[in-house]
Amino acid sequence: MSELLIDLKGIKKVFYTDEIETHALSDISLSVHKGEYISISGPSGCGKSTLLSLLGLLDTSSEGHYALAGKNVSDISKRERARIRNQEIGFIFQSFNLISDLDVEENVELPLTYRADLSKADRASMVKSALEKVDMQHRAKHFPSQLSGGQQQRVAVARAIAGNPSILLADEPTGNLDSKNAEAVMQLLDKLHSEGATICMVTHDPRSAMSAQRNIEVLDGRVVSDQLQNSGEATIQSIEVAL
Amino acid sequence: MIIKNDIGYAFRLLAKSPGFTALTTLVMATGIGLSVYLFSFMNTMLFKALPFPDGDTLVEISKSISGAPNNEELNLHDYQQIREQVKGLKEFGAYRYVSVNVAGRDGARRYAGTMAESNIFELTRTKPILGRGFAPKDDKQGSERVVVIGYDVWQLQYNADENVLGQVLRVDGNSHKIIGVMPQGYFFPNNVEIWLPLREDALNQSRDKVGKANGLAHLVDGYSVDEVNQQLAAIMKRIETRYPETNSEASAYAASIPSATMGDGIAVVYSMHIAGILILILAAVNVGNLLLSRAIERGKETAIRVALGAPRHRIIGQMLLESIIICTVGGIIGLLMVSYGLTVTQTITDNFNSGKPTFWFKFGIDSYTIGLFLTFIITTIIMTGLVPAWKNSGGDFNAVLRDGTRGALGKKSSRMNKILVITEIFLSMGILIAASVIILSSYKANHADYGAKTENILTARLQLPQASYAEDEKRIELLETLQTRLESDTKVGNVMLASSLPGIFSGTTRVAIEGEEYAGEGNNRFPEVNWVEVKTGTLQKLGVELQQGRYFSNLDKGLGKKTVVVTDSFAEKHFAGVDPVGRQIRVVKPNNDQIEWLSIVGVVKHTIHGRASTPSGNRPVVFRPYSQNPGTFMFLAMEMRAGEELLVRNLRETLKSIDPELPAYYIQTYETSIHRGIAPLRFVSSVFLLFGIATVVLAGSGIYGVMSNTINQRTQEIGIKRALGAMDERVTRELLNSGAKLLLMGGIPGVLFGGAMGFAMSKVMGLDNSDLLLICGTMVGIIGSVVIFATWLPTKEALKLEPSQALHYE
Repeated sequence: MSELLIDLKGIKKVFYTDEIETHALSDISLSVHKGEYISISGPSGCGKSTLLSLLGLLDTSSEGHYALAGKNVSDISKRERARIRNQEIGFIFQSFNLISDLDVEENVELPLTYRADLSKADRASMVKSALEKVDMQHRAKHFPSQLSGGQQQRVAVARAIAGNPSILLADEPTGNLDSKNAEAVMQLLDKLHSEGATICMVTHDPRSAMSAQRNIEVLDGRVVSDQLQNSGEATIQSIEVAL
Repeated sequence: MIIKNDIGYAFRLLAKSPGFTALTTLVMATGIGLSVYLFSFMNTMLFKALPFPDGDTLVEISKSISGAPNNEELNLHDYQQIREQVKGLKEFGAYRYVSVNVAGRDGARRYAGTMAESNIFELTRTKPILGRGFAPKDDKQGSERVVVIGYDVWQLQYNADENVLGQVLRVDGNSHKIIGVMPQGYFFPNNVEIWLPLREDALNQSRDKVGKANGLAHLVDGYSVDEVNQQLAAIMKRIETRYPETNSEASAYAASIPSATMGDGIAVVYSMHIAGILILILAAVNVGNLLLSRAIERGKETAIRVALGAPRHRIIGQMLLESIIICTVGGIIGLLMVSYGLTVTQTITDNFNSGKPTFWFKFGIDSYTIGLFLTFIITTIIMTGLVPAWKNSGGDFNAVLRDGTRGALGKKSSRMNKILVITEIFLSMGILIAASVIILSSYKANHADYGAKTENILTARLQLPQASYAEDEKRIELLETLQTRLESDTKVGNVMLASSLPGIFSGTTRVAIEGEEYAGEGNNRFPEVNWVEVKTGTLQKLGVELQQGRYFSNLDKGLGKKTVVVTDSFAEKHFAGVDPVGRQIRVVKPNNDQIEWLSIVGVVKHTIHGRASTPSGNRPVVFRPYSQNPGTFMFLAMEMRAGEELLVRNLRETLKSIDPELPAYYIQTYETSIHRGIAPLRFVSSVFLLFGIATVVLAGSGIYGVMSNTINQRTQEIGIKRALGAMDERVTRELLNSGAKLLLMGGIPGVLFGGAMGFAMSKVMGLDNSDLLLICGTMVGIIGSVVIFATWLPTKEALKLEPSQALHYE
């Protein structure tokens, strides 16, 4: 087994609105190893996006322990969380979330500008390399509004991988795309995985889930199934949940 | 077509958001109220036609020096030439203001009067209510002395006796037959209650001896004031070429009587009008922004209406209805505020003068105000409603319904928001700089050190009639007696007499310094000074500080003595590095005859005659003993050791015992006298303080509203950046930088525009460039702080969200 990248233990997330308490995640325990390609699926409102937000340090859990690359990140400062998001995690969103005022090159460069250790030349080289990987270098000076949805998502992928993160987190990456563009994006993720990337993808598209090696199913804030693709073999966690 | 349902719907929507409705209505009321008030106030003061038939064509002809239109009297020879040569004017009449003493049954009184050519009343198309006006024969020298009296004089002096005609009125020691009584409220040309014939035989007197007067005339149909002024300039240029000694740099101009007195102050008036327009735009921009935000919020509702087949004009009309309601209701509230403000203004301006109030100062809601009000209402409806309505009705409704165009709409509205913030910064900077110039000027005038002690002193004015006091000795004796008797009163301390007191305007003259040469032609090449005659002992009693030499003493008494005391400002200007004591100066006279050298015996600290920091206030002063050069006009100042009322009575009785026909007038404390001089400035300053406060509130809330809206719209972007690893400090810095950019984009032109207005105003208002720089710097600081705060606070709120929440922020 390769190196443990993510280790969640007893994670809970409760939202409070007025006097209503909503348990979005209940006692989630999960491990992700380096190089894995995981899909998280489940019906709308089951908590899969919340889980991805916690994994990406976009939100904090109400309870539980989270270690990323061996480091406890459950209770770290906002600055440290921002640093980890910047250097260890790459995000791909359903709605692309490109900045409309920035061109393609600037969008891809954006996370790199938050790193003090990179020179302008370093950043330019990393942007170029990322755009080449997604085959978008010819559109470097275009603005998002000048691109198709598929192209925008490829730019978003380039932005996610530009900083060589430890893990890519994708939230419904094909949700806003037609089938042709969705297929192209999935092929791109496959290619990145084959090159060694660790990917964790939220999706409720069965075809997209098929691309992953391991499928985690979430229902009512709990992991109800954690299976390797085409093996029928349940992981230890899913058995524990089932028990 | 806007139908009844839409009107009802608009009212329902406004009622549903009472906070929004109240805020926008109040902002509109403030904007429309302040701007309409300012325009109405200025119009009544300066631009409204005088309340006579043909009042709109009546102009005054005055002299200007070096292009400064300061309402000076013309040499009567020049007036005659103008009368003969100018083509755009008709019905000429000359007049000059005089102060007259009138003896009555209950003692002497002083009245403002005018000596005028016989057509003075025809010019205003006004007939006396009793008797007749002047006839040409009354103008002739040697004819019977006649007088026309005002309504109040008739009431007060003659108890409204219908048989007043033919009775004798003692004016300045001479008997005059009363030939007419003017109607109530008639004070033409201004504040006048006694009219006397001018009786100047100008043609039989030499140019340097002839009297002076202002001219009056009506514009000939088809001629404008500007065209007449061009003709006047050409005529005066020819006279200047012919008579450089008396007419160097002199010209003439025509203007309505109210605006003729404005002089260089017209720059301030224009700036005030601009400020009025700016605050209206500022209010409209604020309300427009709030309506735009509301329109964007209701984008989906609009899209549904469009999808259901509503035509665009119907959508625009429905959205415009809200603007119409807000601007109309706000405007009406504003108009009520204007009405109240003008009533207060009437009370305040009635006390601007020590004598009768200016007769055309009738403040109230007139046709001009109503017209302006309606214009402003329509303008603000268009400004606040049309842009949001048009923008929101012309979008891609299908995309809005699919909820897929949020980004594109956000970008457009982001651009609009930037324009709004830049506009608000620009407008507020302009208004605040203009307002600050006036406020600072008023502050300086209120807190100026006039160079004399002003506390606990009662002042009065004396005008010695030429007929009774033709001889110098008699005038000197009168003041000696008056001073001695008053000082013997235990209720009175020191008594001081001078032709002007510090803080009050004085006469001016031009002087030449011994040994200096003055290049050029005409008397204007000589330095101008404030000229004050003082009774010996007055300077020290007033607390005017001696710097060098000595005060006047008994050594200086006598008509043959020739000594002066100058201020340190005079010494610094003309004797830099040299001891001025012992040096000589002379008064420059028109024909340079009778040269009389005067020795400087002392130097005192500068005294301000007029308003602080203005050209008159900064002008060096030369004091001469009254006993060497006794004039006919004097200020009397006495230290009070009892109540004001008792001392006023004592003064009147003392004066009556010396000369029953000599009144003391404008009896008031020294401080009141000074404050009255700056009362108009203080009033305008108070108005502008209100403007300034309204601007800061409007601009502050407006900028905060737009910035907060902008940052709200960028919450998702903030979420994306934080998701990508941006630290909170970095996000804050980026947003503050964008706020700072907007500050620069609006602030630089705002400072340039406001600075230009401020520069034009500061020259008149007595501020120097360092004051203006201070004002500009302070305003940049205030508006900058507003922008930074308006950026920082919503940013802080946006950063309170977790990135995951920010990403899904709606």
